[in-house]
Parts: sequence; C-alpha cells; structure tokens
Amino acid sequence: MDQTKYAELFRTESREHLAELDDALLALEARDASRNTAAIDAAHISTLFRNTHSMKGMAGAMGYRVVERIAHALESLLDDLRGGQAIDATVLTLLFDGSDALRGAIDDASNGRATHESDSLRNVLQRLAEAQSRDVDLDGGAPLSAAIGVGAMLLTDDPTVAAAEESSTLEIDVRLTNDCPLKGVRALLILGRINAVATVRALSPLQHTWQDESFDGRFSVILTTTATADEVEATVRAAGDVLRVTSRVPEPATSRGAGEALRTVRIDLRRLDTLLELVGELVITRDRLLRVADAAVEQGANRAIARAAHDTARLISTLQDEVLQARMVPIGQVFDRFPRLVRDIARDLHKDVEFVTEGREIELDRSLLDAIGEPIMHLLRNALDHGLEDAATRRSANKSPSGQLILRAARDRGAVVIQVEDDGRGIDRSTILTRAQSQGILSADVTRLDDDQLLHVLAHPGFSTARAVTSISGRGVGVDVVSTRVRALGGSLTLETLEGLGTAFTLRLPVTLAITRALLVQVGDGIYAIPAAQIVEALPFEPDTKVATPEHGIVQRPARETVRVREETLPVLRLRDRFDCGPSENESFVTVVEISGRRTAVVVDALIGQQDIVVKRFDAPREGAPWFSGATVLGDGTPSLIVDLSNLC
Amino acid sequence: MSRTVLICDDALFMRTMVGDILQQAGFEVVGEAETGVQAVEKYRLLRPDLVTMDIVMPDMGGIDAVREITKSDPSARILMCSAMGQQALVVEAIQAGAKDFVVKPFQPSRVLEAVNRVLAA
Repeated sequence: MDQTKYAELFRTESREHLAELDDALLALEARDASRNTAAIDAAHISTLFRNTHSMKGMAGAMGYRVVERIAHALESLLDDLRGGQAIDATVLTLLFDGSDALRGAIDDASNGRATHESDSLRNVLQRLAEAQSRDVDLDGGAPLSAAIGVGAMLLTDDPTVAAAEESSTLEIDVRLTNDCPLKGVRALLILGRINAVATVRALSPLQHTWQDESFDGRFSVILTTTATADEVEATVRAAGDVLRVTSRVPEPATSRGAGEALRTVRIDLRRLDTLLELVGELVITRDRLLRVADAAVEQGANRAIARAAHDTARLISTLQDEVLQARMVPIGQVFDRFPRLVRDIARDLHKDVEFVTEGREIELDRSLLDAIGEPIMHLLRNALDHGLEDAATRRSANKSPSGQLILRAARDRGAVVIQVEDDGRGIDRSTILTRAQSQGILSADVTRLDDDQLLHVLAHPGFSTARAVTSISGRGVGVDVVSTRVRALGGSLTLETLEGLGTAFTLRLPVTLAITRALLVQVGDGIYAIPAAQIVEALPFEPDTKVATPEHGIVQRPARETVRVREETLPVLRLRDRFDCGPSENESFVTVVEISGRRTAVVVDALIGQQDIVVKRFDAPREGAPWFSGATVLGDGTPSLIVDLSNLC
Repeated sequence: MSRTVLICDDALFMRTMVGDILQQAGFEVVGEAETGVQAVEKYRLLRPDLVTMDIVMPDMGGIDAVREITKSDPSARILMCSAMGQQALVVEAIQAGAKDFVVKPFQPSRVLEAVNRVLAA
C-alpha cells in the first residue's frame, strides 16, 4: 500500500475521531453522578467505542502497530463498559489516559516517528489490560453495534427489501472465539449462512478488511429477515467458532446516514492546493486577457473578441469563488481540540473554568485552519495561567467561583475574527510597565500603558511576567509567538484588558491566504504589492517639514518624520529608504496603512492600481530584508514582491 | 450406515492422518485422491457424503477441483484443509463452493467439529 497517500487521510480522520473521543469523555466526566444517567452514559460509551474502533481499524490498515495496540486495549475496556461495568473515577481517568496515549501514538505515527515505548505508555496499557480482565467472564452482554455505521457499506439499496411487511431489520453483533483460526474466513462463512436466511444490508468492518491481520473476529451485520432474532442467532452459532452473538433492532438511521455520505467525497489536500494554484494562474491570465482584448478592440478589432474575453473573465471569477469555497472548512474543526486542553490545564492549575466556544460554523481556508491552532492554544494557555484566578481569589473579588473562558469566531467583511476572552483579573499595567522598563524595553519616562503599548510589550520577544516558569506558559513564548504567527498570516492581533474584569485578545485573519486583493505601487524601478486589507486610503503626498519627537515611548524607535493626513499626524515610511533606491522627487503618493490599529503613511513613487494577486509565500531570508512576505506574478508576467508592512510600520 | 468420505491430499501422511481421525469417529473412507483431477473423477464415481480437500495438489489444485465438483453437484459437502497463511486461498475455495475449512496442524476435535457442521448444514 502506498503509505504516503493514506498517511494524510489517516491524520485528518483520526483527528476527527480524537475530537469526538474528547467530547464524549468530557461529557461523561461532567455528568451528574447522583442521578441515573445510564442511558446517556451508554450513548457516550458507544461514541467512544465507535471512534476507538475506527482508529484501530485505520491504524491496522496503515501498519501503525502501537496505535493499533493502544486502540485495541481501549476498545476492549469500552466493550466491557458497554456490558454494564460501572464507570467510576478510576475508569474515567484510565479512559482519559488511554486517549492521551492514543493521541500521542497517532501524532508520532502520522509524523513518521516511532513511538517510544515509555514507562507511562506501558503503564497505561497495563492498567487497561487489568481493568478489563476484571470482567473477562462477563459474557454475552455487550453488543458491538456501535461499530456499525463507521465505514459501513450498504450492500443493497432495494427499498422493497425493507418495505416487505413480514420482514424486520436486525443488527447482529458477532464475536468469534479467540482461538478461531482464519477469523476472516470464519466470518465469511457466517455471512454466507446469514445470507441463506436474511438479506444483508450493511457490514462493519467492511468485508474486504476481514482478511487483514487486524481483523479481531468482531463484526456487525445489519440485515432484514423474515426469521426471528433467535433463528438468526442460531444460524450464526451453527457456523462454528462463535464466542457470542447478540441481536437487536437497530436505531433508525440519522440524517447523517449513507445518503449524505454519498454526496461528499474526500479529496487529498494537495489536489485542492494544485487546483487553487491553477486557478491563481488563471486569474492572472484573466487580467492579461482583458487588457489585451480591450486594447485590440481600441485598435479596431472585432468587438466580439472583447465580449468573449469578458465572458471568460466572468467564468474564471466564478471558478475562483467555487474553488475557494471548496477549500473552506468550519473553524469548529480546530476548536474541537480545545475543550480537552482547557480541562487538562485548568485541572493542573486547580482552577475552575467554564469554557465556551462560539461560531464553530464560521468557515475559513484549510491552509489557515492548520496555522491558527497554535496561536489560539497559546492565548488559551495564557488566559488560564495568568488571566483567570483561582476560586478563592474570585470569591473574594465577588466573582462567580468558576472563571469564564470564551473562544469565539465571527466573520467581519473579508476577515475572520477570533477572540479569546476571559473574565479574569485583567493585565496589571503597572507591573508590566515596571518590568518592561527594567528589561529596557520601555524608556523610564513612560507613566502609563494603553492597550496597544501593552500588546507591544507583551509581544516583545523574551518578555515574560510569570514569576516562575511553569509548564503551562511563561517561558517567554506566548504573545510574541502569536503576534509573529498572525502577522505572517496577513492578520493582526489586538488586545483589550480591564483590571479586575478580564482580558480579550482578538485575532483578525484573512479568510484565505492564496488569493488576495492588493494595491500595486511603484518604488524606483520595481512594482510592489501592498495587501489591500491593510490600506486605508491612498492620496498625493505633500511632505511636512516638521520632525516629531518620540511619542510612543518605545526606546528603539528613533525620531521620525510625520505627515498630516485629514487632521491626523501620521509617521512617514518612505519605501525608497527601505529598498535602498535613494531619495527622489518622484515620491508623489502616500498610502495610509493600518497595522494593529496604528496608522502609517507609506510613501511611494506611483500608484498602479488594484488587482487580485496570487500569493506565493516565502519566509524572509534570515539575513535579508524581512519586509517581504511573498511574491506574485503580475498580469503581464513580471514578478512582483509583496510588502509585509507589519514588519515595517 | 456409516457416512462415506473421500480424502484428497497429495501427501500420504496427511491422507493417513485425516483418515484415522475420521475412521475413529465412525466414517468410512471410501476413496483417496492425490490430485485435483483424481478428486473430481472419484467424486463422480463414489458420491461420498463428505470430501476433505487439500488446497495445493498437482495437476489440478483443490480450489479448481471444488469448482468442478460443485458444478456437477451443488450440494457436495467439501471441507477444505489449509495451512496457516493460506487465508486468501481458503476464501477463494469457500467462494467456489466449499462448505467449511480446517487449518493444519489438525486437531482431531476441530476436524470433527467442522465435519459435523458441514454435514448438518
């Protein structure tokens, strides 16, 4: 099997399964132990079982033996839990540990690393094995039904089969004896016998996996039959090597049944990337085509040429929208992993936290999805570690004992806004000010920090206020990592904090990375692209003669030239200086850009126009100019650099 | 009346062993075949209640023999004898019409269980 082809599929899909695992575990933990929640528990255990079972199957197919082993051990315990074993705190902890071990092994496996068989892993496996051996004789109870539906295959879609009045639908769970040789063949024989008395409608796991080494002799069949459940069970038993067989009436299919599954396909991400790149090239060609066609008509060519060109251009734009839309995924896919993380950290810190996510349905480009997880994680950690107080402190401040932490996504015009908000103690400006001054980040004459300055200090590489370095945060990586990452994605980070009331970090990100609107400007001989999202306005440049003194109190910032634009004094940035083009009388336009709420007047030679550009990102060379974030190809085929103003202003 | 059985295996050792197990259980070994072709011919002549069939045999393999036999007699009761690691071949044999299988090395109890299943079906 071509491993690389499936490795990515495995990674994304197991991530979904792990998220469902977490949800169910958290729900189990949160349930009210004093009430009889058996039915709800059973549903959660089913979810856990189904997801674990799927991961085991996938890992088996990939040859990830360690993942398979852990999943198998976990699954066996879950199977027993479905048989009625009580779910106490010990079992719950074990399930959490098991899922952690699974996650670790999956991470390792999908990144091509061998999982180190550590003591803790051995310990988890050992405990899982012990927990289930307690009930090893508990036989006949636990159905395997939850596994069905995952990868289940509809064998027949003939509605008349189900409609036949005298036939009923049954779900049969079969477990073969452990010493059964060639389990896959035995299962096949059983299926053959079932076929003689019933119509098989679905199988799980899929039949072709029965010959795999990982097939453990458990399978489920959904069938319609005129026979009774007892007769079907007897038929199965008669096929030999059956440890137990149970049957029940299956729950009606949910709306997420096979019908919907048939309308969606999984596509390799690289294929979507290629598609997007091609559309990007097409967009460039579209602009060129329009220009050439219009010019041709002006020189007397047939108008039909221009019409055809415009029609083509319109279709390309539609195609571009569709491809971008196809790459959109709900942000919930990233949010999914945080409830667990927050729980674990809060528990380590002995803090009581109520975690809420909002706007999970907000969509953004797949490439961004992978990139925002880490920044959000840092912000959540910061909020838990530094923002939220412990219960005692909160009570004495007249707050509810459990802290609130909100992770929220929303659409705002062309951008996605992600907010991490806590109702904790807020950031202590005076402490930050003192510390920043003692670390030489701020000059001594600054007396008060506003939110922007505060963020600037916090984002300063190496700045940390944590008294002790904890494993949670405070190692000096936090806000600076977030800030750098967000800027690299073409977004911005802002901060609001009120002492005693809480803190909110806001990330503003483009919906997609690949195609963006830009203003093309001329500086010297070159044409550069400035992302339109950063631009407030562009207007003719009339230089002031005044030179301002340091205003923000940031030591590293030298005295700067300013210009007045609409009653506002703005610092001036001459791109000619930065690009070493030398001064010139040609500097005749200024574009006002806004980065993290701060405006700057960027002086250029000429404005060329706005255009959709296809972004080819690159990391700025270490020794070189850090103010280019990527490159693009213009309509006439010439390359152009994209200016990253967040590193300039 | 004891049940009749045809034993098909190219190795005398295996034929003897299977024969002993079945005879002790009261079966009558009415014939033996060393090749697939022989198995098909003898089945036609003897019409035994049961056939044990090795997978790998000279001139016509066990699977093809199963196919030939069930073509003329769909109710033929054939038990496949396989070695470990022949799972795919056993699957093929089952699809060709064999009714059950046992895996070498043979345990008498397992062989008899399988035989009884085949005859009961």
